[in-house]
Amino acid sequence: MNTVVHEARLLWRSPVSVVALMLLFALSSLAVVLGLREVAAQHDTLARLAVLQEQDLAAQARSRLAKRDAGTVAYYTAQATWDPPSATAFLALGLRDAAPGVLRVRALALQAQLHEGETFNPELVLAGRFDWAFVLVYLAPLFLIALLHDVVSGERRAGRLVTLMALPGGGARLWLRRAGLRAALVFAALVLPVLGGAVVSGMPVAAVATVLCATAAFVVFWAGLALAIGSGRGSAAAHATALMGAWAVLTLLLPTLANAALSRAVPVRQGVELMLAQRQAVHGAWDVPPDETMARFFRTHPEWRDTAPLPAGFHWKWYFAFQQLGDEHVADRVAAYRAGLETRQRWTERLGWVLPGVGVQAALHRQAGTDLTAQLAYQDAVAGYHARLRGFFYPYLFDDVPFGEADFAAQPRFSPPATSTGMPVVPLAGLVLIGAVAAGLGARAAGRVKARGEG
Amino acid sequence: MNIVHRIAIEEWRLMRRDRVAVAGLVLLVLLTVTAAFTAWDQRRSAEAERSHHQSQVDQDFDTQPDRHPHRMVHYGHFVFRAPGPLAAFDPGVDAFTGHTLFLEGHRQNSANFGDVRQSSLLLRFGQLTPAFVLQVLAPLLLVFIGHAVVARERESGTLRVLLAQGVRPAQLVAGKALALAGVAGIVLLPALVALAAIGASTPGQGGAAAMLALGYTVWLAIWVAGIVAASAWLRRGRDALLVLLAAWTAFVVVVPRLAPELALARTALPTRFETDIAIARDLSAIGDSHNPDDPYFSGFRKQVLAKYGVTRIEDLPVNYKGLVGMEGERLTSELFARYATEGFERQERQLAAVDGFAWLSPTVALRRLSMAVAGTDLRQYRRFVEQAERHRYTLVQHLNRLQAEQLAFRDDKSSRDSRIASSHWHGAADFHFDPDTSWRGAAPAAGALALWLLVWSAVLVPATRRLGKETR
Repeated sequence: MNTVVHEARLLWRSPVSVVALMLLFALSSLAVVLGLREVAAQHDTLARLAVLQEQDLAAQARSRLAKRDAGTVAYYTAQATWDPPSATAFLALGLRDAAPGVLRVRALALQAQLHEGETFNPELVLAGRFDWAFVLVYLAPLFLIALLHDVVSGERRAGRLVTLMALPGGGARLWLRRAGLRAALVFAALVLPVLGGAVVSGMPVAAVATVLCATAAFVVFWAGLALAIGSGRGSAAAHATALMGAWAVLTLLLPTLANAALSRAVPVRQGVELMLAQRQAVHGAWDVPPDETMARFFRTHPEWRDTAPLPAGFHWKWYFAFQQLGDEHVADRVAAYRAGLETRQRWTERLGWVLPGVGVQAALHRQAGTDLTAQLAYQDAVAGYHARLRGFFYPYLFDDVPFGEADFAAQPRFSPPATSTGMPVVPLAGLVLIGAVAAGLGARAAGRVKARGEG
Repeated sequence: MNIVHRIAIEEWRLMRRDRVAVAGLVLLVLLTVTAAFTAWDQRRSAEAERSHHQSQVDQDFDTQPDRHPHRMVHYGHFVFRAPGPLAAFDPGVDAFTGHTLFLEGHRQNSANFGDVRQSSLLLRFGQLTPAFVLQVLAPLLLVFIGHAVVARERESGTLRVLLAQGVRPAQLVAGKALALAGVAGIVLLPALVALAAIGASTPGQGGAAAMLALGYTVWLAIWVAGIVAASAWLRRGRDALLVLLAAWTAFVVVVPRLAPELALARTALPTRFETDIAIARDLSAIGDSHNPDDPYFSGFRKQVLAKYGVTRIEDLPVNYKGLVGMEGERLTSELFARYATEGFERQERQLAAVDGFAWLSPTVALRRLSMAVAGTDLRQYRRFVEQAERHRYTLVQHLNRLQAEQLAFRDDKSSRDSRIASSHWHGAADFHFDPDTSWRGAAPAAGALALWLLVWSAVLVPATRRLGKETR
């Protein structure tokens, strides 16, 4: 213990290290504060929209109930769905900057509504958010490199290396202690603001554990790598160059290469195609005999087969039947599109096993519920709700039940599914594994430090 | 051969012997070449895909059967935003905006199916393009290779010898800068070739390609000047390295992220949800075309009747329903335009706030300049959305006019059964995007970039002077 205190005292006397740690703490705090602000703003938006939605529903009830027919209401009334940010979202805002957090749907064809986007400034989204995940993935390794690259070479240059190696408790144990202390302080500078933010946002314990575990593994990875490279014979500048090079390759280069490869290998053009096909199917219904449409609808929905035949003029049940047939017509394409997106996500997670930056990004965003998987889950929730909405209106339409105020009030309301994001065990395991490997390499290299070198 | 050249050549000779530096340079050049091919291929396939879809939907529209014009208003049309030729160099916001826009009556849809929602978070690490390599990786390599150009001479004592031999500090610094500029030139070369290829193969893009080449040359020149200045100023090469790496981190990594975050915190955008409801409210405040007693639309009816000198809508020479459709579309479109303009103006205010950070980081300026000149910035996207909206309005009004003129009021009983000939659809929906090639948006960024170059070149002067004093 005494030796650790001694090391801490040494570190305290190095102004650059102290400033670096304080700067990292400040950046981490800033990211946490900005993240909390952003999530609070998202909650405020949801609260504001809930009021607007109620007012809009009241206005719809006034104007659309005159005919007492469910079709008019179903056609005109848009119902709100929303995807509230999780208590962990403030750390990793992820796709929430470009994907809609709210979406209004009507009981019409779903696929024409589900892919609607949100208003956002593309140049700002392109630049990316300054959230805590960014501080961890991009900046924390740079601070670790700054603090650790000269643990050995710094002593060599100062001419103390031979003495230090000869001292009892010197050698590998010394380097590990020194690197361990610095890494621990970096870890503390990173996670202390997170713990504060966790209290403010009411993060579940499991989520805090994920963040701590992912951060620890990531910090250990970079500390291990820094020690592994820094224990070599080169100069401090050569070590810093090698480490920065490694960081640039792992964080900037390989992920972009992987992204280029992935978007080429797994095209997702089915999205556009399903939109085009669905429109043809829906609008084509106006050109075929309505009874033909109904017969097709009854094949997949036999429960309405024995209802009254279509009247001569317009009937809403025909309209809603062809809307639903339009969705069913593109079900295969929807599934293929979905599969493409999931494949992209899966490969990204696999990549996390070799690229720690990607791995920690995947683990944090999974825990925060802000990744592509979460976005797809929200779409599923919308689709599930949309099915309930259809299910609610169909008896009125097919059995010609008049639609009154009580029925209007009885329309199903969306409720966001309980977020049960457990700990992302697999990405975490991958991170811990590469962290352990790097730590092992670092320890081995620290044990082989030679007193001679380039100074 | 003058002394400056000799110093530069000597420096190159040293660099050639540094295997790490050579490997780094070769890797970066290969990477730029790969990036150029990847980005070119991506743009080409995106363009092929989108123009294929465009011609498919154009044909779909033309071959729709005889229909009621109002059914065609709802059938609508798709337009696809094709990436400009220079998107192969800097795709800018291309992946971050939708490219498929559905145009229909009474509604303004969002452009959808952008990569940003179709990709995992991997996309957020960046895209492999020549612009990315030059913006992010090239300065880092220059720092690695160049941080010790002057400091090394000082540390090894050769500086004193050189100066004693009569080399003036300015010549030494100029020679070192020339050497590093040569490296920067090699880094830049593949990108310049790519730009030249794009400029030569696409008419009208030569100027923009040249402007981009100039912008990135200035960008790397800023780094060359800054690196040589730091190397001359600071006592040890290692100090210069750490200071330059910190500067790179701040300029390239931190400020370009922090600036948009602060811009967003200052100016928020309304959600589509709110805008939709606001438009619906404004519209219902004007009038309801479905309500026969609505004051606005009964006023409109009176106007129409007076114009044609008749007393009943049945006696009008045109189909009154078509006229109502046109009036309704005119009202909604005015609101759409107003809200969309407001939204884009907000976004431009956000970017103006980001532009303010160009004084803190030249990267911010370079990115804005690059996207503006490549035609892949917000301004160009806005232009596409606004042209598409005008096209939507023209198309819908054309169809409404067909309803007014080709379909008699007494026959217009049902939009299912009353139809007009399909020949009316031919060519009605074709859309051509007319991009803005003026790069007006680039001016503030270009100014900021030029100033950065000026400042760093100016810093070289005291750094050089210091060099002379020190060894005296």
